[in-house]
Amino acid sequence: MGYIHFENVTKDFGHNHVLKGITMDVEKGHLVTLLGPSGCGKSTLLRCLAGLEEVTGGTISLDGKDITHVNPRDRGIGMVFQQYSLFPNMSVAQNVAFGLNMKKVDKETTARKVREMLTIVGLEEKADHYPSQLSGGQQQRVALARAIVTEPKVLLLDEPLSAIDAKLRRNLQVEIRRIQQDFGMTTIFVTHDQDEAMVMSDVIHLFHNGLIEQSGAPTEMYTQPVSKFAASFIGNYNILSAAEFEKACGEAVDSADVAIRPEIVRINLEVADESKRYHMEGEVINSLSHGNLMRYTILCNDVEINADIMFEKSQLLEIGQKVRLSIRKTNVIMLNS
Amino acid sequence: MKKKTWVSSLYIVLVMIYLLIPLLATAVYSMFQKWTGKLPEGFTLQNYVELLTEQDFMLSLGRTVIICIVPIFLTVLLVLLALFVVTIYFPRLEKYVQLLCMVPYMIQGVILSVSIISLYAGSPTILGNRLVMLVGAYCIIILPHIYQGIRNSMHAVNMPMLLEAAEMLGASKIYGFFRVIVPNIISGITVSSLLAVGLIFGDYVLVRNIAGTGFKNVQVYLFLTMKSSSTKASAVFVIIMITTFLITLLVLFLQSRDTKKRLQKVKG
Repeated sequence: MGYIHFENVTKDFGHNHVLKGITMDVEKGHLVTLLGPSGCGKSTLLRCLAGLEEVTGGTISLDGKDITHVNPRDRGIGMVFQQYSLFPNMSVAQNVAFGLNMKKVDKETTARKVREMLTIVGLEEKADHYPSQLSGGQQQRVALARAIVTEPKVLLLDEPLSAIDAKLRRNLQVEIRRIQQDFGMTTIFVTHDQDEAMVMSDVIHLFHNGLIEQSGAPTEMYTQPVSKFAASFIGNYNILSAAEFEKACGEAVDSADVAIRPEIVRINLEVADESKRYHMEGEVINSLSHGNLMRYTILCNDVEINADIMFEKSQLLEIGQKVRLSIRKTNVIMLNS
Repeated sequence: MKKKTWVSSLYIVLVMIYLLIPLLATAVYSMFQKWTGKLPEGFTLQNYVELLTEQDFMLSLGRTVIICIVPIFLTVLLVLLALFVVTIYFPRLEKYVQLLCMVPYMIQGVILSVSIISLYAGSPTILGNRLVMLVGAYCIIILPHIYQGIRNSMHAVNMPMLLEAAEMLGASKIYGFFRVIVPNIISGITVSSLLAVGLIFGDYVLVRNIAGTGFKNVQVYLFLTMKSSSTKASAVFVIIMITTFLITLLVLFLQSRDTKKRLQKVKG
């Protein structure tokens, strides 16, 4: 049993079954991400762990103790919310000190801890500012400092970066990961952004319709999707039915669907071991620039295949250009229905 | 664009003149012995000197302030607690609470006072006391204004989310409410309370019907003075206006002082 253990947790809102029996373990010191589309139940599970929602069935234990019906304030869990939830009437320092005051920590220790925490998140100069005087990124760092200053057993992050612009988000991803590793804090992170999950997590749990679709390390999740949903949600897989695949390359496969990552598709590549590859002939029908990547859509016998190629000006393809695709057979993932 | 600004300025000036003329005329009238011709005659501050040195008047003014503060305090507390319970535990009941709180809008002062008297006048409990009845009546009259002001402020600060954050940091719901939510809706409470001050200061029907002339507050004093001297009654009216203005200023000053303190702390 893990440091945090969910045992057949269910949650209903009226007739809506949001969680349909989640059994999951989280190891101590890990950063675990609950990934999935909106409405899949990931935030609800987080709120059940925090105690902000009562579970309909099942149990939750933390460090070996059943906390299923324990009051949120007695669980020893810190939480960072999507909309920061800083107290507008309190300064940054007062916000960070709030949890320590609730624990009746003496004034000197509180002041020292608040100072240290603000230094860690790089906001020591903003101690006397009010939330309305801070940017979104700064507010989220205050929220993070406020949540971890009390040294909770578990830190919960409920889509904390979704309201922040892309560049700052990337910086904060690294910063959160650094702080989490420095403190060795068991952390559960909720996001619908698969890139964010890949960057930050030790383990990812992919949610779909109130159930865990797949769990694993980021690279495993990316390279070994177990279902059509996992392949479509993580990465930008080409997902083809067996019939479509056969139509595109002329070879039959023994599975319901196949998944092909766009970056393993090679264009016009002369290779020695041709027998180890699938080949397709097609025509470029679209191209999209993703900065350092070019994504081409190639129509192979009426089947569209996406291929990602590193941007190189001399090797750009034209719309309408005839190309030959090759894909290593071992890289094609067979998905059973 | 320029013409538009000019027209809107003129409009504002005209509205201000329209609103201020009765007040200014009353103030001028109170400072003269008579005003029967085109212009008032015999400038004097005798009315004000008399009023401000008259114990009876000062006591009536004091009674009005007290009878104003108590119902406002009680109603604010009642509405805060009701909204706390409704928002956190029974959000589905909010529309019914709102409906109940809006009912007093439809009740005339005469009907309310007669109903209260017929219901409680013979009661041997504290509810039979006329002043308690009056406080209760004022609580009812100001309830919709206080409720609406506080409710709107609460919705603006996203109360459930802030309370959840406080709870995750170890606070109880009620502590979080008074430590986090109330300070953030203080401007809404202030505005609603000032509106209630205006309503209570302007009431004569309830105090006359429920407390009778035995309880002489400033409105009753004004009514009695009107029978003896119209210029003095005007002076009473001016002093009532100045008092409500000063109460408003005091409350706004206390509120802005708090904001300034915060900003100075940041700048300093």
